[in-house]
Amino acid sequence: MATSDDIIHQPLRLRIMAALTAGRERGEEFDFARLKSLTQASDGNLGAHIETLERANYVEVERGYQGRRPRMVVRATAQGLRAYKGHVAFLRAIIEGKDEA
Amino acid sequence: MQIDAESAQASLADIEAVVARLKQSSFYRGTSTVVIMWGVLLGCGYAASSFIPGDARPLWLVINSGGVLAMVGRGLWRRRRGVAFPWRLFAALALFFAFGIMCHYLGHFGRRGSETFWPILFMFGYALAGLWLGYAFIVLGTVVAALAFAGYLWAPWLDLYLAVVAGGGIIIAGLWMRRA
Repeated sequence: MATSDDIIHQPLRLRIMAALTAGRERGEEFDFARLKSLTQASDGNLGAHIETLERANYVEVERGYQGRRPRMVVRATAQGLRAYKGHVAFLRAIIEGKDEA
Repeated sequence: MQIDAESAQASLADIEAVVARLKQSSFYRGTSTVVIMWGVLLGCGYAASSFIPGDARPLWLVINSGGVLAMVGRGLWRRRRGVAFPWRLFAALALFFAFGIMCHYLGHFGRRGSETFWPILFMFGYALAGLWLGYAFIVLGTVVAALAFAGYLWAPWLDLYLAVVAGGGIIIAGLWMRRA
């Protein structure tokens, strides 16, 4: 369903959800470093927006270690995927509306 | 929340850009293993050939066959996981080898020329593929080809030089691609 989502519409959060959704469709999961490279965000900015998405239950974050280094794996939840797809459909509907005008 | 058509268009373009980056990053990561493997094979091949004073062709036959067989094995393994077997890649490799053998025959290269010719040929192949697959291949191909040619002109121990430049350069590129 095409529904606007204030949480997802913020540009960096939209990029995070786009990467997580496309990655999930390809069977890939993302750690913080890869997500940072894909979204081209700074560490602090990315961390803050992941927390916002986590609070909204749009992503789940697995914090652990790879060897001695801390590793954070981020995955989109089913609720997050629904919200993202709804928001993308909403954006497309806006554009299609303009085209028809 | 009020979103106008321009803002919606910009958001969708942003999404497309992220998905395109993801596809390229996945491709780089997927091919990095093969790139690193060829770097190791070439590095070992050139290092070993520096100890072979005469005809090193049997050594290179073994190395190239080993590399191609490893790629076939990887392709078959990936096919079992639902990834299409890369027939075109093997056809391209066969064409490059055929082109190289013909040039080699026509050019009557000496050992030094022959050792430089093959990495240059394949590095231009990488660069050419990079026009479609991503700039990392263009950089890798042109830089290593230029360094190999410089070695032909000036390096006294060409085999060891190529082991470092061709083998090492390809390994470094593969490691970079793995982190992309």
